[in-house]
Amino acid sequence: MFDFPYFITMLPDIWKAFIETVVMIGISLSISIIIGLPLGVLLFVTDKGLFWENRFVKSIFGFAVNLVRSIPFIILLVALFPLTKILVGTTIGPVAASVSLSVAAIPLFARLVESSLRDIDKGVIEATIAVGATPWMIIKDVLLPEAKSTIIRGVTLTVISLVAYSAMAGTIGGGGIGDLAIRFGYYRYDNTIMISTVVILIIFVQLIQLIGEQFAKSLDKR
Amino acid sequence: MLEFQNITKIYESKNKKIVGVDNVSLKINKGDIFGIVGYSGAGKSSLLRCVNLLERPSSGKVLVDGVDLTQLPSTELRKARLKIGMIFQHFYLISQKTVGENIAFALRAAKTPKSEINERVKQLLEMVGLTDKKDVFPSQLSGGQKQRVGIARALANNPSILLCDEATSALDPKTTLSILKLLKQINQKLGITIVLITHEMNVVKEICNRMAIMQDGQVIEEGTVYDIFAQPMKPLTQEFINSVVSFEIPNEIIKDVKGEVIKLLFKGDVAGEGVISDTVQRFNVKGNFLHGTIEYIQERPLGIFIMELQGEKTAVNEAKIYMEQRGALVEVVKHV
Repeated sequence: MFDFPYFITMLPDIWKAFIETVVMIGISLSISIIIGLPLGVLLFVTDKGLFWENRFVKSIFGFAVNLVRSIPFIILLVALFPLTKILVGTTIGPVAASVSLSVAAIPLFARLVESSLRDIDKGVIEATIAVGATPWMIIKDVLLPEAKSTIIRGVTLTVISLVAYSAMAGTIGGGGIGDLAIRFGYYRYDNTIMISTVVILIIFVQLIQLIGEQFAKSLDKR
Repeated sequence: MLEFQNITKIYESKNKKIVGVDNVSLKINKGDIFGIVGYSGAGKSSLLRCVNLLERPSSGKVLVDGVDLTQLPSTELRKARLKIGMIFQHFYLISQKTVGENIAFALRAAKTPKSEINERVKQLLEMVGLTDKKDVFPSQLSGGQKQRVGIARALANNPSILLCDEATSALDPKTTLSILKLLKQINQKLGITIVLITHEMNVVKEICNRMAIMQDGQVIEEGTVYDIFAQPMKPLTQEFINSVVSFEIPNEIIKDVKGEVIKLLFKGDVAGEGVISDTVQRFNVKGNFLHGTIEYIQERPLGIFIMELQGEKTAVNEAKIYMEQRGALVEVVKHV
């Protein structure tokens, strides 16, 4: 069932696939944090009763976020081919796959940020409003620090979702571990590759979870 | 000076309107420690939150030193808030920032130059007695210490008004007393007007000079704490006062009493016992104490005695008139 010498000969391919996965996740995670974090903050502060309460902005962005989240990823992947072509010039490879991965991860992370901010005691926000702080100060010195740990947990969750998405992206030319698993494990009934990719993914996800949790805990001063 | 003019706050939910504050007008003088008392739901918290517009009144004006805050644009309102400190029942400190950073936050809101922040934080911590806690996180502090940090934060920008939203309700009696002492000190040293809301009458008795009682969104009684303690007019006020100073006499005892039962009130330095013993000597009546106490409110004595007067009807009446002449307020509790 598991052919060890064969596994050794395949190691360079597995390593290459793993790096591709890391690249995909790295690019799309960075983009989803850069765009998703401000978006999550915006969704929160435009909510009813908060200092930038704005029904219009809230519903426009809320709708966009829900729209993307309601499309199954495999369909989003294909639907975004034209956009990927414009941005990257090709639809093949890990960089190309990062476009649709980012589009999927941005709304997910934004919602996670929004719900982290919602967990902050409203009284703390109110107290800083009473102090006479500007909205910018409240975002920078109250909302983000208070939600820091839960936002880190959100990052962990986003990475893990990206691992799953990246496997799907692999099947249509994105490369990475998922691609390897499908090409060898599924099309060629290659159990050795199938088992190794699954084990690699399990270890990878466990590690991310562990590191994320430790990091979140070390930051929390409560 | 702080003035509420016809403040009304209506909360509208889907199919009903709830009147939180109902046409309240109130003047609070500079240097007052003003207590607003009421049960939860009476509207006292809403009223307090209208001062710095954490809640906007549905109608009416909030005047701080003659400026109507409800008319200010948001930047001006923010500036006005720098001069109105507020502390809360649950402290509401930024949990991920140290004590020093929490206080510095308020200073930065007022655009205090960086070079001055450190020094000012040190001063404030000294004032509230927490010099050694600068680099500690709020989770490591006790409730009383957290409230002290809250006070330091509220006073950071030298406010003229300090609002206390049930500031001692989450604290044990001993800590409550120490926080009240600190508030009084702040009031006397810095001349800051304090407005506090509470359901604990002993808080009012301890530090307030004036008070108002709220019920169903309205102010039902208002005046100096001394006068209200001496002669509460409304049943609710009496109920609140009874919670700290009780003059209840068991019905059994009243029933067995043969003579007339009167309640005597001596305000200020009128020596109550002296008046009573003079009365008993001068007139042909017998006095029998059922209850008596001397309360010190705002450091002024308030003597209250409940006694039975036995004797001829005319003698009893003359005795009552005599005691009134000597400065007592006489109230008949039970006629013969």
